[in-house]
Amino acid sequence: MTPKISVRRALAILVAGLIACLVGPAVASAHPLGNFSINHLAEVSVSPDRVDVRYVLDQAEIPTFQERDLSDGEVLARKRAEVDKRLVLTVDGRKVALVAAGKPVLTHPAGAGGLHTTRLELPLRAMVSSPGRVELRDDTFPGRVGWHAVVPRPAAGTAVRSDVPAADPTNRLRRYPQDALSSPADVRVANLAVAPGDGTLDAPGSDRAISGGGDGEGREDVLSRAFSDAAAGKGVLLVLLLTAFAWGALHALSPGHGKAMVAAYLVGTRGTARHAVALGATVTVTHTAGVFLLGVVALGLSEYILPEDLYPWLNLISGLMVLGVGAYVLRKNVLRRRAHHHHHHHDHDHGHHHHHGPDELSWRGILAMGTAAGIIPCPSALVVLLGAVAQGEIALGMLMIVAFSVGLAATLTILGLAVVSAGRAITRLNIPAGFVTAIPALSALLIVGVGLVLTLQAVPRVA
Amino acid sequence: MRARRLFAVVLSFAVAVAVFSATRGDERAAAGPPSVGGLASDDLRPSADTDARIAALQRDVRAGRTAAAPALADAYLQKVRETGDASFYTRADTLLREALARNRFDADALVEAATLAAARHDFRGALALAQRARAAQPGTLAPLPILVDSLVELGRYGAAERALQRLVDLKPNLTAYARISYIRELYGDLPGAIDAIERAVSAGGPVPENVAYVQSLLGGLELARGRLGAARHAYDAALAAMPSYAPAAAGRARLAAAEGDLPDAIARWRRVVDRLPLPEYVIGLGETELAAGRRAAGLRDLELVRAQQKLLAGAGVNTDVELAIFEADHGSRARGVRLAHAAWSNAPSIRSADALGWALTRAGRPEAGLRWAHRALRLGTLDPSMRYHAGIAALAAGRTDEGRSQLRLAIAHGLAAQPLHLARAREALR
Repeated sequence: MTPKISVRRALAILVAGLIACLVGPAVASAHPLGNFSINHLAEVSVSPDRVDVRYVLDQAEIPTFQERDLSDGEVLARKRAEVDKRLVLTVDGRKVALVAAGKPVLTHPAGAGGLHTTRLELPLRAMVSSPGRVELRDDTFPGRVGWHAVVPRPAAGTAVRSDVPAADPTNRLRRYPQDALSSPADVRVANLAVAPGDGTLDAPGSDRAISGGGDGEGREDVLSRAFSDAAAGKGVLLVLLLTAFAWGALHALSPGHGKAMVAAYLVGTRGTARHAVALGATVTVTHTAGVFLLGVVALGLSEYILPEDLYPWLNLISGLMVLGVGAYVLRKNVLRRRAHHHHHHHDHDHGHHHHHGPDELSWRGILAMGTAAGIIPCPSALVVLLGAVAQGEIALGMLMIVAFSVGLAATLTILGLAVVSAGRAITRLNIPAGFVTAIPALSALLIVGVGLVLTLQAVPRVA
Repeated sequence: MRARRLFAVVLSFAVAVAVFSATRGDERAAAGPPSVGGLASDDLRPSADTDARIAALQRDVRAGRTAAAPALADAYLQKVRETGDASFYTRADTLLREALARNRFDADALVEAATLAAARHDFRGALALAQRARAAQPGTLAPLPILVDSLVELGRYGAAERALQRLVDLKPNLTAYARISYIRELYGDLPGAIDAIERAVSAGGPVPENVAYVQSLLGGLELARGRLGAARHAYDAALAAMPSYAPAAAGRARLAAAEGDLPDAIARWRRVVDRLPLPEYVIGLGETELAAGRRAAGLRDLELVRAQQKLLAGAGVNTDVELAIFEADHGSRARGVRLAHAAWSNAPSIRSADALGWALTRAGRPEAGLRWAHRALRLGTLDPSMRYHAGIAALAAGRTDEGRSQLRLAIAHGLAAQPLHLARAREALR
C-alpha cells in the first residue's frame, strides 16, 4: 500500500506543476465574470436531524478594493451580517436560524492589475427533526452581477427531491464556464422535498438519483470501472495498471487501430523484428502524447477548441500520413524492381541483392507509420483521463493511459513480429520467385489503398 | 529526385485544399439565407423579457440553428445595457467571431459586432463593421444607428447627420429619435433635443430598458434646462419601467445635488456605486462627497477609480475620456494629458477635444487648453462641464470676459448637478 501512495504522490506533484502552468495565466487576467462581480453559492444538504449549508463567496477585484480599509475580522462580520439577513432557511413553513458550524475560511487570492479578490467559505447548520419541506432562499448581495447558485447535496438518511440542479460546474466558484451559449447561473432559491431514505438526491438535469459520496456517473468501460474502484481505494496500483495494459492490448484488436497498415508496411518494406518493435514503441509514444494533448485541450483550451473538433483533423492527418508512407513504399518497390531488371542484363549473380532489410530511410517510414497508427487517441482513453482529472486523481489517470498505450502497442508489435517471421517462412518455401517479389509491391498498394480510404473518410468530416 | 518528391508533396497538399474548399462551399450553399432564422427568433419574441429571450435563443443555437447566433449576441448586448454585466460582452464576442468565421458577409452578425465594438469604445472598428454590414446587404437599415453613433464619436458630425436623416425618413422609431435628440443637444438646441426625445418616448420600444433609457436622457436634458420637476418626473418614469436602472438612479443623485441636498445625493450615489461601481458613478460619488466637505471619504472613494484604471490598463484599454478628465481633476496631470491625447487620436470628437483642453489647462497650459476648448465648443454645445472647462481656461489665459460668460453659461445649464465644480466656478466668478 505504501509504495502505491508514494508513486501517486510523486506523480501528483508533477501533474500539479503542469496544471499550475495551465492555470497560471488565467489568474493574472481579469475575473471571468467581470471585475465587479460578486459570486455566491449555497450548498445545502438535509439530514434527518439537521440542515447543513455551506455558503461560498467569490468577490472580484473592485468590491474587494472597496473593502480595502477593513480588517479581515470586519470583512467577515460584514459578510456574516449579509448572510444572516438575506440567507433564509425555511423548514416545513417555519423560518429556522442558521448558526455557524465550524471555522469560516477567508482568503484574498491574487486578481488582475495587482489587485486582490475575496474568497469566503462559511459552514452553517440548523438543527431540525425529520424535515419534510425545506426551502433555502439566498438573497444576499441583491442587484450585484455574478454567478448565483443554490446547490442541493445528498446526505445520509434522507431521500431528497430538488427543484434545482445538483450540478456545480464552478467547483465551488473556482472556475467559471466560458461557454458562449450559457449565462451565469442565477438560482436564488431551492425547494427540497425530503423523506427518509439512504442518501439519494433527485434533481433536474441528472438522469438518475445520485447517492452520497459517489462520483455520480455511470461508465460502462472495463477500464473506467477499474479506475473508479482504484479511486475509491479498492484496487492496488499494479492490478490497475495490468488491467489498463490488458484493456489496451484487447482494444487494439477492435477495428481501426492500424493493424492492417502495420502488417502491410512490414511486409512491404521487408521489415525485421527490430522494426516491428520500433513500430510498437512509436505507437505507444504517439498514442500517449495524443491522449495527453487532447486532455490538455479539453481542460485548458476548452474555451477555444472542443476536443471533438480535433478528431476529424487527426483522422485526416493520419490518413494523409498513411497515404504518404504507402506511396513511398510503393515507389521504393518500383525502383527496386527496375534496378532488379537492370541488373539482370549485366550481372546474374547479384540477382537477389534486393533482399537486404529496409535501409536507413525506412526508419523515417517507421516513425511516420507509428505516428499515423497512434495519433488518433481512443475516446475511451480520453474519458479515463478526464474522469481522473475530474476526481482529482490526475496522476493515476496519466499512468493508466501510459499502461493502456503500452498494451495497445504490444498487440501491434506481436502482430508485426508474426508478419515478419511469416515473411521469412515464405521465402524458405519453394514458392515461385515472381509471386514472392510481388508481395511487397501488393502490400504497398494495400497501404496506399488504406490511406486513401482513411483520407476520403476524414475529408467530409473535417469540412 | 528531390524535386519530384517536393512536387508530390505540393500536389497532394493542393488536392487536399481543393477538396476541402469545395466541400466548404457546398456547406455554405446548403445553409441557405443566413438571416432568416435569426430574424424570425428576433421578431417572434419582441416583448419577451431579455432573460427569456436569451434562454430561447441559446436553445436555438445549441440545437444547431446557428443563424440565430446574431440575435443571441444582440440579446447579450441588451443584457449588458440592463445590468452592466460585462461578462456578456465576452459571450457575444465569441458568438460573433464564430458567426463571421462561418460567413464573413453575415449582415446581422456584422451589425452586432459593430455595436459591440462601439460599446468597447473602438469606434473606428465599429464604423468599419457597420459599413461592411451595409455592403453585405445593400438597402438594409439595421447598420444605420450604429453607423451614426460611430460617426458622432469620431467627430464626423455632417456624415452622421446625413446617415441619421436616411434612418429617420425610412424608420422614425425610438432609436432614430434618440439619436436626433443627441445631435441637437451637441448643437446646443435643448428645446429641439427635448422635443425629439419626447417623440422617442412616445414611439416606445420592445423592452422596458428602451423606455428607461430615453426617459433618463429626457431627465438629463430637463436638468440641463433647469426644469428640476420635469427632470424628476422623467427619472421616476424610467425607474418605474425598470426599478434598478442605474442611469436613472444616477440621474436622481445628480438631481438631488442640483437641488442642493448633498446628503441625499451622496446616499443615492452610494446605492448606485454599491450595485454597479462604474468609474462614471464612482466619480459622481467622490466629487459630491468632496463638495459636501467629506474630504477623507471623497478621496477614498476616488481611489476606486484608480483601481479600475489599473484593471483597464491591464486589459489594454487606456483611452477613456472620463478617465482623462478624472486624472486632470484628481490625479496626475501629466497622465491626464497623455490619456486625453490617446482619447483624441482614438476618437477625435468634441468630447475628447474637451478632455484634452481641460487636461492641458490643468497641466498649466491654459492658452493651449483654451484653443482645444474652442474646438470642443465649435458646434455650440451647452454641456455644463465643457463650458466650465472653457471658462476656467479662459480666465487662466487672461481672457476674463470670455471666462466669466462661459462659467455663467455652465451654471445656467446644470453645473449644479456637479456641486464640486459648481463651487469652483462660483469662486472663479467672484
